[in-house]
Amino acid sequence: MEHFLGLSGVLFALGFYGVLARRSAILILISVELMLAAVSINFITFATYLDPERFTGVIFAIFAITIAAAEVGLALGIVLRLFRDRGTSNVDAADELKW
Amino acid sequence: MLSRLPLPPQLDRTITLGAVLAVGVALPYVGVVLVLAAMGTLSVAAVVFWMLAAIIVAGACGAVFSNHVVHAALSLVIAAMGIAGIFLLLASEFLALVQVLVYGGGVTILLLFGLMLTNATEDPLVTDGTQKPFAFGVGLAMGAVIVAAMVGSTWRAGEPMVVPFAELGVRLYRDFGLPFEIASLVLIVALVGAIAIGRRDQDGDVS
Repeated sequence: MEHFLGLSGVLFALGFYGVLARRSAILILISVELMLAAVSINFITFATYLDPERFTGVIFAIFAITIAAAEVGLALGIVLRLFRDRGTSNVDAADELKW
Repeated sequence: MLSRLPLPPQLDRTITLGAVLAVGVALPYVGVVLVLAAMGTLSVAAVVFWMLAAIIVAGACGAVFSNHVVHAALSLVIAAMGIAGIFLLLASEFLALVQVLVYGGGVTILLLFGLMLTNATEDPLVTDGTQKPFAFGVGLAMGAVIVAAMVGSTWRAGEPMVVPFAELGVRLYRDFGLPFEIASLVLIVALVGAIAIGRRDQDGDVS
């Protein structure tokens, strides 16, 4: 069981590094997907090992994947809009709200 | 015949790097795992797990470290397929199917479309920002803390139990009916919103 959790931890850390290091919006999105997948692994591990009668974690993983798909569609719409306005998908180009 | 194909130098370097990695890292890794399995230290499930873990981590590293955006997106597919295998190991066939369909199909196609429509002419070297070393340190520290906490804790031992399809459906629709409906609402609002945001303006009015 701790093997699965360790794998998900490694995956989450890699995605976290990607979110911080990447500057292209779509690459950041890819890293966010990695983090979401790590969370799904965690949910399912706990559900099948510790709570096999009610398996609530599996339901949560289904919802997580659903929301991830919706998020990717919406985020790509925003990125396309940003690209059309600024000519780049670099997130550093959109810093008007930065204090 | 092959030598006559004009490879761009960048692709050439990528192939060389891949070959070096395959020979230098993957082969010893597979060898060690198989030797341990032959000695009886590892069960079949453990061998499958370590193979899948290597595939997933390699795919995730490719997605995060690759300077070529299309390579990053395709590495995400590799990682997603490995994760589907992990779901199979965890006795959740339905989640594995959903993972392959949603990530392997939908999300990747969307990401590739996004890359095609935005990043086509962008210099690959601007994909990473100046805070890379800092991000590396933070990511490494966080990974170390998470893995240490998870591997160091004592969990209630046991085997993963199979979650039957039928019971999963009953529970999803009976106990989680309202969240299910809200999720479908979120999906349709998100997709309509994506269309509304990404739509090309007619005769210049701001939408």
